[in-house]
Amino acid sequence: MRASAFIDAVLAIAGKDLAIEWRTKTAFASSLVFAILVLSILFVARDASVVSALDAAPGALWVTFTFAAMVGMNRAFLLERENRALEGLLLTPVPPAGIFVGKVVANLAFVAAIELLAIPLFIVFYDVPLWQRLPELLAVMALATFAFVPVGTLLGAMVVRTRFAELMGPLLLLPFLVPPIIGAVQVTAGILSGRPLSAYTGWLSLLGLFDLVFVTVSILLFDAILDR
Amino acid sequence: MFPDNGAYMVAAYVVAAVVVLAYAASLLVRLRKHR
Amino acid sequence: MTERAIPQLARRGTVIAMLGLAGLAAVYVRALMFTPIERVQGPAQKIFYLHAPAAWSGLIAFLVTGLFSLLYLIMKDRRLDRLAAASAEVGLAFGVVMLTTGPIWGKPIWGTWWTWDARLTSTLFIFLLFVGYFVLRNAVTDPDTRAAYSSVIGVLALALVPFIHVSVYWFRTLHPTPVVLKPDEPSLPSVMLVTLLASFLVFTVLYVGFTMQRYALAALRDAELEDALDVSG
Repeated sequence: MRASAFIDAVLAIAGKDLAIEWRTKTAFASSLVFAILVLSILFVARDASVVSALDAAPGALWVTFTFAAMVGMNRAFLLERENRALEGLLLTPVPPAGIFVGKVVANLAFVAAIELLAIPLFIVFYDVPLWQRLPELLAVMALATFAFVPVGTLLGAMVVRTRFAELMGPLLLLPFLVPPIIGAVQVTAGILSGRPLSAYTGWLSLLGLFDLVFVTVSILLFDAILDR
Repeated sequence: MFPDNGAYMVAAYVVAAVVVLAYAASLLVRLRKHR
Repeated sequence: MTERAIPQLARRGTVIAMLGLAGLAAVYVRALMFTPIERVQGPAQKIFYLHAPAAWSGLIAFLVTGLFSLLYLIMKDRRLDRLAAASAEVGLAFGVVMLTTGPIWGKPIWGTWWTWDARLTSTLFIFLLFVGYFVLRNAVTDPDTRAAYSSVIGVLALALVPFIHVSVYWFRTLHPTPVVLKPDEPSLPSVMLVTLLASFLVFTVLYVGFTMQRYALAALRDAELEDALDVSG
């Protein structure tokens, strides 16, 4: 398939998923409310006389992002469970990698929307000096989100057919969140403390390498989970 | 003289032995069911 | 494998496992009675003769599972998946040994039950990935789907562990936790070294024997399942 046709197919699949979600907005609203609740709970879940809001902020932000993402990514392959729609998709000339990338793009858009909406709340709740350094935070968010969405999408495709999918998805995904969260929290803490991004080239490189490895591996492995 | 932590040593050696032996036994039992 | 090969594999695996158990008993005797007590750390230091080899066997099990998962995805031979799963279960057992002896050793030596250093944390996550591997495996009934899904987890896990190791190591060097008795990798006198090496050998033998047994068990179960399907189908 030509590259431009591939990209068209990817965008078509992503667009379809997002359009379906936009109609009801159920998963989106749930994820957003979940994010607000987690942010709030983590704010109060500390001894405020010992742990300042600034200290708790980076960890709270990333736990919120990843947990809300897990809630949201569940829906990706649920859509295709109805009427065996995945088989229909596979009958099209779109290669399986294209279907997978389309799903990943949809998930990325979904998770990015949640993250972007959560940022103002985060700034307000935790009273952190973030406005000046927002672009840098967005860069880190992009790096980290690219780390867990492809793997989450792949795992979602597998667990959707099992009985306790909502439980098994997070169970399988959580270990894969550890390196990105460690890196993202370190860099976010630096940003909130006024340190320049250049002080974190190690962590940023690690995140970048993680992204590269897992995006590639996830795309390659998707083919293996389709039964032909 | 050395620190008096022999109890930990005993505990660890016992736990390790129990786990290894229990696993070995479980394999034997399960294999036996298929004879 | 032929009809008689599986029971033979089971027998040989059992023999090797029994040899390993005998070796373990010998290591116990040598470690407890014929290896001197380390002066700074005391008797608890001897836990190291079990903890390190168990972690080592767990790591081998993990690498085997990862490698054979990858091979299955390439060659689609279900026997490869069977070996990956057998190795994973044995790895789980050694993981339990490692995760129990570790804290019991850590408390008197490091002052805390757990320390988030790179090696321990990596092995903890290997254990958790193994658990996830089996949870997924047990949730899927069709053997081919189960093999495919397990292999995907196996390969993903293989790619993940180096990243966990590095990120935890960097995290740790930024936030070192205080330690009571810090054993800085003492150069072991030969008496202790021999005990340690003997233990590594024993745990390797145990791994091989157990994995052979577990593989044979899986093969027997699959054969039985196929016979049942043939009769009814």
